[in-house]
Amino acid sequence: MITYCARSFAIFILLVQPAFASKVNGTLSSRLDFYPDHSKGTASEGRSAEVKIDAFHDFDESRIVGELIFRWDEKDSGRRITEARQAYFRSPFAGFDVFFGNRQEFWGKAESKNVVDVINQSDAAANEGKSGKLGAPSISAERYLDIGDLQLWYISNFREKTFNDSDAHPSNGVLVSSAQYARKDGKDADDFAVRLSSFAGDWDLAGSIFYGTARDPILSLNSNGSALNPYYALQKSIGFEAQYTGNVTLIKWESLHGTQSSLIGTHDFTAAVTGFEYTYYGPFETTWDIGLIGEIQHDDRPQAAANQFGVAGIRLIFNDIADSNFLFLASVDRKKDQSFVSLEASRRVNDVTSVKLTSQFYNARTATSAFGQLSDDDAITLTLNMFF
Amino acid sequence: MKFANITMFVTLACAIITTITFASPEKGLEIAIEADSRDKGFGDSTAQITMILMDKYGQSTERAIRNRTFEGDNEGDKSLVIFDSPGDVRGTAFLSHTKKSDSDDQWLYLPALKRVKRIASSNKAGPFMGSEFSYEDIASQEVEKYTYNFLRDEELNGLDCFVVEYDPVDPKSGYKRQIVWMDKSEYRVHKIDFYDRKDALLKTLTYEDYKQYLDKFWRSNRLVMINHQTGKKTELLFADWKFRTGMTQRDFEKSALKRTR
Repeated sequence: MITYCARSFAIFILLVQPAFASKVNGTLSSRLDFYPDHSKGTASEGRSAEVKIDAFHDFDESRIVGELIFRWDEKDSGRRITEARQAYFRSPFAGFDVFFGNRQEFWGKAESKNVVDVINQSDAAANEGKSGKLGAPSISAERYLDIGDLQLWYISNFREKTFNDSDAHPSNGVLVSSAQYARKDGKDADDFAVRLSSFAGDWDLAGSIFYGTARDPILSLNSNGSALNPYYALQKSIGFEAQYTGNVTLIKWESLHGTQSSLIGTHDFTAAVTGFEYTYYGPFETTWDIGLIGEIQHDDRPQAAANQFGVAGIRLIFNDIADSNFLFLASVDRKKDQSFVSLEASRRVNDVTSVKLTSQFYNARTATSAFGQLSDDDAITLTLNMFF
Repeated sequence: MKFANITMFVTLACAIITTITFASPEKGLEIAIEADSRDKGFGDSTAQITMILMDKYGQSTERAIRNRTFEGDNEGDKSLVIFDSPGDVRGTAFLSHTKKSDSDDQWLYLPALKRVKRIASSNKAGPFMGSEFSYEDIASQEVEKYTYNFLRDEELNGLDCFVVEYDPVDPKSGYKRQIVWMDKSEYRVHKIDFYDRKDALLKTLTYEDYKQYLDKFWRSNRLVMINHQTGKKTELLFADWKFRTGMTQRDFEKSALKRTR
């Protein structure tokens, strides 16, 4: 169905392209992955390509928007996807902007993890960080009020998290079986969300309510250890976000509080991220920006990789013509003695080409910890993006 | 001897009076206020901008951006900059609410994440898109952001000009002072010399190809910034100016950033 919608939308956009206030852009990404610590029987490298088409068309006060993804992977069927990440019609109605169709939305303030970002499912198999999301099939409405921006969401269908193949990376090394749901309607159960966000002076604040299926499944091995069973709980939660913007320092808070109903009963939970981002301009008489990031993550849900992570990072922006930048982040769980380190560097090659190098390294003392199960998933990835 | 002393006294007195007359903070402020008031009432404006970045060897690269400005009443102007090229920053948008006497509020829209991110304005001295223009150069120029000192009258390119020193109030500014040449008939800026924090000449900006819009508002269509310390140069070519387009305050709120195309 989504494939059909995506194709129809692409044809529509190509047909309307010559009209005024329309635009079609594309991105072709070629990616090479290397897995230096791969275990026997798993991939040592991967090759994939992705085409992304961005398009919009305006007529009167309405707009139709599309963001279509076609991703091919040589070996990993989990990464292959045809996805209408965005395919919606927006129109004003009764003082609201109303959106019909697939949308991508972002909620949150923190850098290392966004616990309040509940609208979209993660396209985790893409391993593209925060931008790797699946479109939320929804009807949503937004209104700008004196007290802030109000969003109302009705999400009509649940999207399951994507997983890599068992011999691909990152993966727990076993097959992922069909999902089970706490809600009897399963994938057809409806989700609802509301958010109000505002700013006053140096403060940005937001509050949200969510009722629906938890985005992250609880994963458990089946009785003979041959497959992982994803189980999606019912989540009722409220979220809070705050950011103080000083001259050189941002202080951030986001937290999610609620209950999660699963096979083992209904439990209260809290997930929170708090920290700072400090930016220093012009070190060593250069025109660089140096950003220091420090955050603490807490998550007491069974889906979390750890109860608590300390995160430290450095961001370097060179402010040069090639827009060169570099980001290092390290997440450490001292209790279970596990850590995750990521490095990201990117620069522009010319007006239509950019290159990005990323690497991810997992360390764990015990094989049973979350990162212990990913110990053969260290990855070095080179991505070449071409824009047209 | 007595006559010589009197002559010397008169000469010295004249020199002091001349200095007081011509190095006048009051007159500097008056000129800045007059220049500001002559641009009042434009409402809102949009323009297409081509940015040409040139290194010291003459090699160049281009960027395409769009600018939208909304005139503030009691507060400073609001401006939105949308990036159309190069491809990797396509769709990125930068929103700034200029404050007259405080740090500006700034947000960045990151299209891949659909994220609107409030950013600190500490890097106002930093380069805008890797160019020779800094964030403070492209920000709305409010009277309260500087203290002034009228220096002298001088002819520039055949025009009678005021020469005024602008001293940034904000210690985060990358400049110790700016020397501004402004013509006396229309109060248009024609040239600015920027001095860095060590008071060394850093950059010179020239404004060319002025055109008048709505019979009142002058806009330069070619800005050339030369960095004397690096030899690099950036040109901004403006086209397709539009005024009073019907944009509202709402088009410059942070929630409007993700709707920007």
